[in-house]
Amino acid sequence: MAILVAFLVFIPFLMIQIGILSNLPLLQGYPDLILLAILAWSLRPEVRTAWQWGVIGGLLMTLVSAMPVGVYLLAYLLVVAIAQLIRRMVWRLPFLTMLVMTILGTFLTHSLSLIVLQLLGRSWSISFALGTIIIPSVLYNLILALPIHAVISELAKWVYPVQPIYES
Amino acid sequence: MNTTSRNLQTIVFVLIAVGMIALALGGYLTSLSRIFLNPLIEVQAWVYSRFQVAQDLLRAPQDIARLQQRNAQLEAQVSQLQAQIIELQQQLTEARILSALVDFARANPENRYQAAAVIGRDPSPFLRYIIINRGSDDNIRRGMPVVTQQGLVGRIEAVTANAARVQLITDSASVVNAKIQPSGAQAVLKGQASGDLLLDLIPQGVSIEVGNLVLTSGLGGGYPPNIVIGQIAGIRSQPQELFQSATVQSVVDFNQLEIVLVIVNFRPVNIEPLIPEGNQP
Repeated sequence: MAILVAFLVFIPFLMIQIGILSNLPLLQGYPDLILLAILAWSLRPEVRTAWQWGVIGGLLMTLVSAMPVGVYLLAYLLVVAIAQLIRRMVWRLPFLTMLVMTILGTFLTHSLSLIVLQLLGRSWSISFALGTIIIPSVLYNLILALPIHAVISELAKWVYPVQPIYES
Repeated sequence: MNTTSRNLQTIVFVLIAVGMIALALGGYLTSLSRIFLNPLIEVQAWVYSRFQVAQDLLRAPQDIARLQQRNAQLEAQVSQLQAQIIELQQQLTEARILSALVDFARANPENRYQAAAVIGRDPSPFLRYIIINRGSDDNIRRGMPVVTQQGLVGRIEAVTANAARVQLITDSASVVNAKIQPSGAQAVLKGQASGDLLLDLIPQGVSIEVGNLVLTSGLGGGYPPNIVIGQIAGIRSQPQELFQSATVQSVVDFNQLEIVLVIVNFRPVNIEPLIPEGNQP
């Protein structure tokens, strides 16, 4: 069920991202709706399929993007790992955790992309990438983080309904 | 007796009436009638105006309801017409683009073109690729050049049955062999991380100027020759360096790409096996 929901969430998100949001850059930064959805899903305590969401999101992005195979997959799995670690430590402040993870996740995804592209021979100035792509992308993601967190949280509650506890 | 007296009264009454009418028609009773009629007219006007007010008051809710209904109908109609206008404007823009593309295709009969709509961009901000709605089912193959009526856009990098990914010439991994007009000097056009175009490896002895035209040279077999790329916008020349370089202003607005043409009768040549191993990138 949760896997099916992942496709139902990711496919429209991906369509919005490549069809609409990639035409509305902030400097040269774009938001990453798939990353935000994975983050919001991973931060829910009741969710047991965060890794699967990371894999599905990574594979879909690999399918659409010209980024070398595995970059998004690795980045999203790392993000899931960090999100789960942070969730165990800071479980009472979901919105704050989402914002912090958005910043960390965007930096991680973009840094990994940049490192791989540099290794493949593309010349990128770190300061240029930071100023025109990474920081604007972080800001863009922060703007969208809370609405996506709200939507995905509702979805998680629907997929994993809380079981009532009966005392004997 | 009684009957005679009544007839006499009637005759007198008729004569008086006829006399009054004759006097009235002759205008002799105007001032007299004004004295009597004016107050009556005033009263009648007042009564009628009160009646009108009362009638409006009773009819108003019915009118308001009818007007509101009509207003809603008109608003719905306006919205519908506005939507139609937007749709027609979009169709007009598309028709203009297609018309320009058809003109371009007619002006270059040596090539066969497949028109494709841009349906998305690469989700990574580090890469400059577009996704088009034509794929291998439409005879699109990897390496085919993509142009608009203005000039070179890029080339097909990956193909699926119904879509293809196009690497723009502004992508930081894009390299195009180019020539400068009118000098005819050969150079290499590279995409930059910023999205600009850099014309590199221009021999020092060659005279170039801002505004010179940059075209594909056809060398290397990656692109057909003589496709317009842009104009030189700035020159960087140091006497101690082996080559000059220049920034190029593309003729294509890559942010406004909607419809592109794929040159389907061009097959890129892979010259990598001919390059000595030490010189391969």
